[in-house]
Amino acid sequence: MFLDPDSKWAHRLNPVLFLLPALTIYIVFAIYPTLSVIEYSFTSWDGISPEREYVGLANYTRLFTDKIFWEAFRNTFVWSGVIIVINVGLGLVIAAMLARVWKARLLIQTCIVLPVVISPMAVATIWRWMYQPSGVINQMLETIGLGGLATPWLGSPDVVLYALALAHSWSTIGLSVIIFLAGLQAVDEDLYEAAKVDGATPVQAFRYVTLPALRPVTAVVFILTLTQSFKVFDLVWATTKGGPIRFSEILSTYMYKRGALENQYGYGSAIGVSLLVIVSAATVIYMQIQNREDR
Amino acid sequence: MKNLAAIAVFGALATLPGTLFAQTEIVVWVAGEPGQTTIYDELAEAFNSDNPDAKITVVKNSSDLFNPALVPALSAGEGPDLFTFGTGPGQPAALIAGGLVADLTDSYFEHNWANTIPEGIVIQTSSDGKLWAFGNEVETTGMFYNKAIFAEHGIEVPTTWAEMETAVSKLQEAGYDTPIGLGAADKWPISHWQSMMFGRYAGPDGIEDVLFGDGEWTDAPFVAASAKLQDMGKKGWFGPTPVAIGYGELMDRFWAGEVPMTFTGPWVIGGGIEAAGDRIGDFSVFAVPPFEEGQKIHPTNSIGSGWYIRNGSEGADVAVRFLNSMFLETEGRVALLNAGTVPVGPLDDALAQAEMSPLAVDIWKTSDDHAANGTVPAFLDTITPGSLTTVSYDGLQALLLDVMTPEEFTSEMQNAWASSKEAGEIMLPGGITAR
Repeated sequence: MFLDPDSKWAHRLNPVLFLLPALTIYIVFAIYPTLSVIEYSFTSWDGISPEREYVGLANYTRLFTDKIFWEAFRNTFVWSGVIIVINVGLGLVIAAMLARVWKARLLIQTCIVLPVVISPMAVATIWRWMYQPSGVINQMLETIGLGGLATPWLGSPDVVLYALALAHSWSTIGLSVIIFLAGLQAVDEDLYEAAKVDGATPVQAFRYVTLPALRPVTAVVFILTLTQSFKVFDLVWATTKGGPIRFSEILSTYMYKRGALENQYGYGSAIGVSLLVIVSAATVIYMQIQNREDR
Repeated sequence: MKNLAAIAVFGALATLPGTLFAQTEIVVWVAGEPGQTTIYDELAEAFNSDNPDAKITVVKNSSDLFNPALVPALSAGEGPDLFTFGTGPGQPAALIAGGLVADLTDSYFEHNWANTIPEGIVIQTSSDGKLWAFGNEVETTGMFYNKAIFAEHGIEVPTTWAEMETAVSKLQEAGYDTPIGLGAADKWPISHWQSMMFGRYAGPDGIEDVLFGDGEWTDAPFVAASAKLQDMGKKGWFGPTPVAIGYGELMDRFWAGEVPMTFTGPWVIGGGIEAAGDRIGDFSVFAVPPFEEGQKIHPTNSIGSGWYIRNGSEGADVAVRFLNSMFLETEGRVALLNAGTVPVGPLDDALAQAEMSPLAVDIWKTSDDHAANGTVPAFLDTITPGSLTTVSYDGLQALLLDVMTPEEFTSEMQNAWASSKEAGEIMLPGGITAR
């Protein structure tokens, strides 16, 4: 009646059974909606009508002539670029410094990681308040004699995207630091000793020992940061709604406007699919580069 | 036989409580912050205690998320039984075309809604001879100002544009870097100015002509109104950085006495009473003077939204009864007035019993004083299609940042409007087929 636990079939079935609950959830809540969005992207649908008119590639060809899409596209790349530089670059530096600090390490680590658990809406509220023209940041700049740098952070077309990227990084860099720290702990101490014997300075040790040893971890942090930055919506929506004008419009906010606010679900889905393609392509390209360098 | 009788009696008794106490439950969605109590909670509670056969649950969704949450819920057949939604020629067209809302024409005739809902509002809530929504409260907008600041600097309430300019200059000289608060970071507050100024320059007929006729947003009055708004921005009337400040922060500064004026509506009064406390008497409202020589003051007057019943709702009759209790019965109308919400229709009976805040009285008096000139919509953004709203919001910020000309702005508006018209996304002029 029951399968012999040592049988060939039991060995084949076991992993499937263990995977089944998670796989079911993943299919229902990730794969199915993704496939639905891809299907909607080939339709003209207001999100209400029971009928969806199939329009082939019309939504995708419309993307090419939609100047707002390209503005959002460019903004998304700038946005992600800034966040990657901060979260990967600065995250690695902070982790490397923390790895050498023993006193108060836990306290510092907690302070850096704490924002990760704050809800994005709370993060948006905090930074919206701090970025006010008479807010904390401008007040601090005035106090330390840098009043000339004070600016309406969220109202300035030239600054708003970077200001929001900084806020996003503040709330996510902790995760990068933790991953880098875990990676650093796996680096063989003998390598540092050998570098020291060879007369390497701390910077040289970082360049020739730490960085190569952390390549796989860096890839993970890079991909996580990239995907996280592309899917950000709440922070931008709750602070500027893509403004002023469209200077902080990113693909996710544009998709929401077209889809949910203007009832153009077909076109909104096409924007969503383009976002998926961009993130996937960027990830694959980065992995290819990593693999080539590893060889 | 005896047993049979006993079973029959038992059976009858067993079904009795169900018959007597069966409740029809309906869910009502209104815009508001979850957890916040609104007048609708109180009205629902009163209705529930007066109607043991019905139970109303009020659910609040924040304004930002209301429509995006409503549309999928209705499409899935699981939306609220009764809900508020935009009216006019724009937003509800898709809901009606999709068959998601119930035809209220029978209720209109059965309950004599014509005695309460003015014809002008019926036109905005009907199409194809059918009524789709019960236009609920009337909204207006006006210039809220701080009387104490005005008195301190010897400023009289301006009645001409020259006096308005003098008032703003005096305030700027007195160190108020933002004489008129705007909260333009949230985009929608600028559209209050836009609606009022478009109405002033084009008049009620000019607005109607675009919404329901062949008029275009590129017509001269709309360009002139946009140019005036931009000019005010350039002169610093809205402060050095209006698009950097959100509406919430602005209102905090206004009630704190840091900003002398702001153009808004009666929905802020409740929060103002809480924020300003005893100083609430420092605030009043005036009508923005005519912008040009010979221009009339047209008060802004819109229905804030309309009440819709979900098509296929099993509690439709309860929903209609709830609407009647809120808008037809004096008790409901008084409660709405006391909460600062002005229900549609004649107010005489309710006004006599209501205890409105002086600020609410001020804003409605300001509106009434000029009502004979004809009224214009207070919120063009809620009665035009979403695609036009997006273009307007971005364009209004662009005007204030001086990176777009008034001609470019109105041209973008017209393009979006024409596309919506072509796609059939606007509602045709309404009216109910007589019976």
